[in-house]
Amino acid sequence: MNRIAGRAWITILFVLILLGGFIFFLFEYATSAGEWVVFSGSPHVYNAGNINCGTVIDSEGYVLLDMEGERDYSSDKFLRMSTVHWLGDRYGYVDAPALSSYAEQIAGFDMLNGVYNYGDQAGVVKLTLRASVQKAALTALGGRKGTVAVYNYKTGELLCSVSTPAFDPDNPPDITNDPDGIYEGMYLNRFTQSVYTPGSIFKIVTLAAALESVPDIETQKFTCSGSYQFGVDRITCEAVHGEQDIKTAFSNSCNCAFAQIALQLGKETLQKYVAQFGITQPVVFDGITTAGGSYDINDAHDVNVAWSAIGQYNDQVNPAAFLSFVGAIANGGEGNAMYFVDEISVGGSLTYEAQTKGNTRIMSSATAEKVAEYMSHNVSVRYGAENFPGLTVCAKTGTAEVGGEKKSNAMFAGFVQDDAYPYAFIVCMEDTGYGKNCIPVISAVLEACKKGVNGALN
Amino acid sequence: MMFLASTIHDAPQVYVDVFIAILRWIAPILSLVLFVRCVYPLLTFKREPEIWARLCLANGKKYALTHWENVIGKSKSSDVVLDRRGVSRSHAVLTRYDDGSWSITDADSEGGVFVNGIRVSFRALEPEDIITIGGADMVLQPISGKQEQKLAKMRTGNSSVFANFSNLILLTVFQLLCAVAFLLVDSGETAQSVLLGFGGISVCQWLLMLFYLCIKRTSFEVETIAFFLCTMGMCVIATVTPDEAFKQLIAMVIGVVLFLLVGWSLRDLQRAKVFRYVAGVAGICFLLITLLFGQEYYGAKNWLVLGSFSLQPSELTKVCFVYVGASAMDRIMTKRNLISFIVYSVALCGCLALMNDFGTALIFFCAFLVIAYMRSGSIGTITLACTSLGFAGVVALKIAPHAMRRFQSYRHIWEDPLDAGYQQTRALMCMASGGILGVGAGMGQMKSIFAADSDVAVATLTEEWGLIMLAIVILCVVALGIFALRSAAVGRSSFYTIGSCTAASVLLVQAILNALGTVDVLPLTGVTFPFLSNGGSSMIGAWGLLAFIKAADTRQNASFAIRLGKFGGEADE
Repeated sequence: MNRIAGRAWITILFVLILLGGFIFFLFEYATSAGEWVVFSGSPHVYNAGNINCGTVIDSEGYVLLDMEGERDYSSDKFLRMSTVHWLGDRYGYVDAPALSSYAEQIAGFDMLNGVYNYGDQAGVVKLTLRASVQKAALTALGGRKGTVAVYNYKTGELLCSVSTPAFDPDNPPDITNDPDGIYEGMYLNRFTQSVYTPGSIFKIVTLAAALESVPDIETQKFTCSGSYQFGVDRITCEAVHGEQDIKTAFSNSCNCAFAQIALQLGKETLQKYVAQFGITQPVVFDGITTAGGSYDINDAHDVNVAWSAIGQYNDQVNPAAFLSFVGAIANGGEGNAMYFVDEISVGGSLTYEAQTKGNTRIMSSATAEKVAEYMSHNVSVRYGAENFPGLTVCAKTGTAEVGGEKKSNAMFAGFVQDDAYPYAFIVCMEDTGYGKNCIPVISAVLEACKKGVNGALN
Repeated sequence: MMFLASTIHDAPQVYVDVFIAILRWIAPILSLVLFVRCVYPLLTFKREPEIWARLCLANGKKYALTHWENVIGKSKSSDVVLDRRGVSRSHAVLTRYDDGSWSITDADSEGGVFVNGIRVSFRALEPEDIITIGGADMVLQPISGKQEQKLAKMRTGNSSVFANFSNLILLTVFQLLCAVAFLLVDSGETAQSVLLGFGGISVCQWLLMLFYLCIKRTSFEVETIAFFLCTMGMCVIATVTPDEAFKQLIAMVIGVVLFLLVGWSLRDLQRAKVFRYVAGVAGICFLLITLLFGQEYYGAKNWLVLGSFSLQPSELTKVCFVYVGASAMDRIMTKRNLISFIVYSVALCGCLALMNDFGTALIFFCAFLVIAYMRSGSIGTITLACTSLGFAGVVALKIAPHAMRRFQSYRHIWEDPLDAGYQQTRALMCMASGGILGVGAGMGQMKSIFAADSDVAVATLTEEWGLIMLAIVILCVVALGIFALRSAAVGRSSFYTIGSCTAASVLLVQAILNALGTVDVLPLTGVTFPFLSNGGSSMIGAWGLLAFIKAADTRQNASFAIRLGKFGGEADE
């Protein structure tokens, strides 16, 4: 018997395998459980690609979406349409990366309780968007394709971001039967996923680069005879602007003057400042990485370098990136990072709270101040301050030619220079014509922003 | 009863929330207390050597015999070491019987065994018989009845009746809480199944304890562990397939009956030796019948369908296989080669391979390994067996594409979460969602995953009852394994020791393949977790195996599978 008893240790072999394997699993669990919970398709967290728990509210507490189960959207059709690109749809055609990236916080996961919450309460996600402004922006866009966005350059909060064509997630259109292409690109969030030819709003970039790098630029004079020759090629203006300083050239949006400034700056300086200003860099916030722009003049001849400084040629900018840029100017040359999710609470306790994060300085405060002054001057002499009652608006329009039979894209970027309303904005409207067509749109949106926390939702 | 159930079900939501919130803490605490109370006596009982006889040599030297089976030989590992010329390494075996009588068996020695001067191969010993081995004369002096009585008194008793009784009360409270939780959260249509499931286990465990008390057996730790695992299994069924609660309950009752039958067959070693042959024939017949008339589900032809009743005979063959593999010392020593056992094992594994049931084949292989090693003590045999398994494994993967597919996704499940890795990635997501305390009874999402109550049942358990409950469940099986090992030191016959170690190993291997397979530490094989997974045949088989562990429990008045004996208490048969 001694022998047999001595051989019984073989049972321990299996005990050790079971315990060893289990301890190995516990190690994996301890290090990866947080990832497993929010892995795409995790049954407690997702449904058809979108998050399946929690409620989304706007910055004023208005419920935009209950994400659990069948996904209950707001009862207001226009609100549903204006927020669909941020909240996602039922079928996963439009995903909501900003929400998914906080799945762990929304589900309220912790190692002890998993995703359990007393009474099955999931998280409440408070966005920085304001429902009333979203609706105003959707209405103002009036069926045109494009995007409008407003953000608080002092805090980074994204107050408004609408992309059109939008659709009602409760009643999605039949896109297979769309002969006029009304719904073309409706799943796209143009603010984050698109790039546009900027047109003259790019002159803000060239202006800032010139102010930073050419000491006597303000005293220089530029002559516009309606066109500027580069050998056989030429740059044209819509009018003959005559002799002007850079400030006037900016408010005239004079292509000829800016062509001369571009020549002075040269390829390398332009490229350096485009990179320094982050114009073509994707913006990363709340799990979103926006499309990156392009500014490729390596092989360009002088005339194309000039066109590039006016926002044509190969220039492509993403609206979010350009908004960050004008926001930085508004904030004295040092912007604040944009954010969309304000805070998340589960069962009354905060699991996430956004914080204002400063970006690196992109230009001196003196330059920023000067650019702001020029932009403000531009609004008052060119578009009329009466378009923005009660607000000091600094902005620039752009009319971006896109070729083909389409009308130009209308662009408008700028900011409000009031402590009470520290808003930077961008408007991109496709196939719309002159940039000034954007003014009534942003005017209506800023009006809605001004109504503040007491703004009625209608 | 149903009125009560519907009252509970109609309780306001706030009561449900509060109850679940409290149960998330109470359930693991209760389980932990129960676990510690059951396992502590199993792992701490004293294993003092008991002297059953003395072997007195003519030169006055005396050897104490501390087992019922004692090998005499030159080898250092013999129970009685006789280092003199003419004695073989393993020369003879002295065997004690229930009635206190002894026999001697010649273990194919060169010099032979002589009793009163006559060479014998086997002989029942009479008092005063003179045994001659290697030229040395000796007399066996069994202990007297009085001494045996004293021995029984000194032997570590099992834990008190009161302790076992309170354990069962704890378990019953736990079952009650589980039932109330499911009544609160379920749709109402399942109330009857839930009540029947948990209530049935409760009734069954109390009836078994009552029966034990009637036959003066008081140890109930091993059974309490099994009933606890069954309860957790019922929790999984209540959330995934509540309609099958009754079926599983019936299987458990049949399992308990088999447990008692196997235990009864093991109480008398002579009877057990006869049953061994019956089990051998039955084991192979089960598989042959399945092979001929079985049905194929999910790639493996291991189901036998009789009308509305279906079973997996291979689960019962496990019990038979342990029976066949166990062997008493005299037989081990006289019939030293394992050829007939190897042939039998190969036949069984061959049938399983033809049935495409490689998971079960692996379990049989591990059982074979334990038996072969315990009987032969040869590491060489084990190495040879493992090498052949390696080859068999390669062949199996070549001819069975569904097995290959599982191996391909092994440790790569996150790369294919929608196809090959679906079951396991969902299991891990849900297990993580449960955290340490679980999301609460019936609140899980695993229920929509294939085999959530069987192959990946531990995921459902962890999701709803927490990681801590998974740890307790795994430690329960570990405790059974360690208990079998500890019992081996005081085992009376190698038949019981081999039986209990093999049975415990099979339960461990099942737990290893099921639990570690679910979490991708091992490839998923579709093996059931003992007592926990939904599956009647598996449940019955697990109880059958438990009888072997119980039969090796030599604590006084502990096991119904051990006779109390003439002097150890009142004989009960």
